[in-house]
Amino acid sequence: MKPLNQKAERVQQAATQGQMEEVRAMQTVTAGCATTFDPGWEVDPFGGLAALCQPMEADLYGCSDPCWWPAQVPDIMVNHQNWDEGAPNAAKDWRALGATYPTDAET
Amino acid sequence: MQLRPRSLTAALLISAAGATPALASEELLQNICSSCHTAQETGLSRISGQRKTPEGWMMTIVRMQQAHGLEISPEDRRAIVQHLSDSQGLAPTEAAPFRYAMEKDPNAQESFDEPFASMCARCHTGARGLLQNRTAEEWALHMDFHVGHFPTIEYQALGRDREWYKIARTEIASYLAEQNPLETAAWVDWQAAAKQPVAGDWVVMTDLPGIGEAYGRLTVTGDASPYQVSGEFVTTDGTKHPASGQMNLYTGYEWRANLDIGGTAYRQVLALSEDGNALQGRQFDRSNDALGAPLTGARAGTGSVILGTVPSAVPAGEAQVQVVGTGLDSLASSSGDAAANSFGATLSLTAEGNGTVTFSADGAEGQIAHYTSVDSIRVEPEFTIARVGGGSDTGPEAVPAYFNAVGMWNGPDGKAGTDDDIRIGRITAQWTVANAHEHAAHMEDTEYAGVMQANGIFAPAIAGPNPDRPFSANNAGELKVQAEAMGQQAEAMLIVTVQRFIDPPIR
Repeated sequence: MKPLNQKAERVQQAATQGQMEEVRAMQTVTAGCATTFDPGWEVDPFGGLAALCQPMEADLYGCSDPCWWPAQVPDIMVNHQNWDEGAPNAAKDWRALGATYPTDAET
Repeated sequence: MQLRPRSLTAALLISAAGATPALASEELLQNICSSCHTAQETGLSRISGQRKTPEGWMMTIVRMQQAHGLEISPEDRRAIVQHLSDSQGLAPTEAAPFRYAMEKDPNAQESFDEPFASMCARCHTGARGLLQNRTAEEWALHMDFHVGHFPTIEYQALGRDREWYKIARTEIASYLAEQNPLETAAWVDWQAAAKQPVAGDWVVMTDLPGIGEAYGRLTVTGDASPYQVSGEFVTTDGTKHPASGQMNLYTGYEWRANLDIGGTAYRQVLALSEDGNALQGRQFDRSNDALGAPLTGARAGTGSVILGTVPSAVPAGEAQVQVVGTGLDSLASSSGDAAANSFGATLSLTAEGNGTVTFSADGAEGQIAHYTSVDSIRVEPEFTIARVGGGSDTGPEAVPAYFNAVGMWNGPDGKAGTDDDIRIGRITAQWTVANAHEHAAHMEDTEYAGVMQANGIFAPAIAGPNPDRPFSANNAGELKVQAEAMGQQAEAMLIVTVQRFIDPPIR
């Protein structure tokens, strides 16, 4: 198989250089961050940003709709169905995307 | 959801705070929750099979609001959290290993064995799961809940490469049922234990990010949540920061306070020790929880306790140090003069060169280093993340990162970076950032990701696509945070990443 993009190339490099264990270990780079591997939300499996979608708004709904980062980004499929209201184009309307946890729900 | 009409004969709760629920807690729970949860031998369905933290119960009720249409006032919601945390909470020893999650420590890192790491902690902290205890049936239902609410869990990475549901239902559910069962000796013992009253005077020590190391004294009054808290914090330069606010105590030991300290809203997530004489946890900026620091406290007048010193270290020469603690009237020091005060004792030092001054009182011991030189410095934390943010009325604010420089001596082996290095304490440093690697340099991350301030706080840039960057990339970046102090240099790694849109009390 030939890698088609930069991320795939990095994965292949990691595999050939015996770094896949390192890739796995980076999942918990900082407690609560999602690095799930296609891609992560905060960081990529290498603990960096190079293999993430940038800007994230360009393909946000393609991933968030089906709940790719359920603990970080509201999914529109089940749990936060109105999150994208007023923001049909995330790249242009990103200012309308709000935080979902209520600020008054404090112990 | 239809809620049952409330009983007019219900007991009224009395509190000075005003924002109190109308009904006694068990009746409130029945009224609010039994529309959906059915009465069983052990209590209401689902609810009775679980124990969790105050934050865990709050997150559950918020989910009932968001996913199931529950309508509930903030006062009733908090009252139910109080009731469930008190009657179905976690024992201190059960919560202890995972307090970093409740404290929202931005630098905590987790490490779990497989399959728990990939099955659970790939999306949220492992702590979020392990800060709960459930019956075996409840743990199994918890797996089903995940598939129902997050159906793509089975074809995400680390889901599609295995029989996710089968592993969840068998290996994970049984592992959790064994590790975190509903019934434990720790919980039985804690329920039976005499709970110590929290009211009284507390001497505390912490750090106010951007302001400096601080000590203080807090007075707690009242006999039930919300308690009133008032007092003051004092920084190294003697500046006083008045403090006042309210504190809720859950499960007999979980201290949750909102305090105004010198005009800034802070939150305290602390644990009261089982003997009721010590506090430990984290205090952070309420609107920006990345800006915080550990906080320790000792009940005033209960023996001799030394929490530490403010400042944590001093340049050689004449210095005034606050030894923070209680019962330090007889403080004896290897150098200088001590005088007791309401925060412990002040120590007037005239110290030359590099060295350590030790002091003690009735069995309590402490020390402070004085220095003219350091052998190396460290940046703490060595790795963390910040987030771009702001730029809109609704989106998450930027999340900064807070760094400190710590001076070190080499220790007996004369080598830096080994186990016998001696930690001197916090020292003043000059801060810069650099691109972490070639890709960061290509993207000019230092130009776009944010600004490193003189006080060690990195302020990230605004959210959103940036048309000035290749592909209109966000102002994300990978940076080396560099400190320079007393001729020494050190660095840490900082990833400036994107916003977090779901940010519950336990991530």
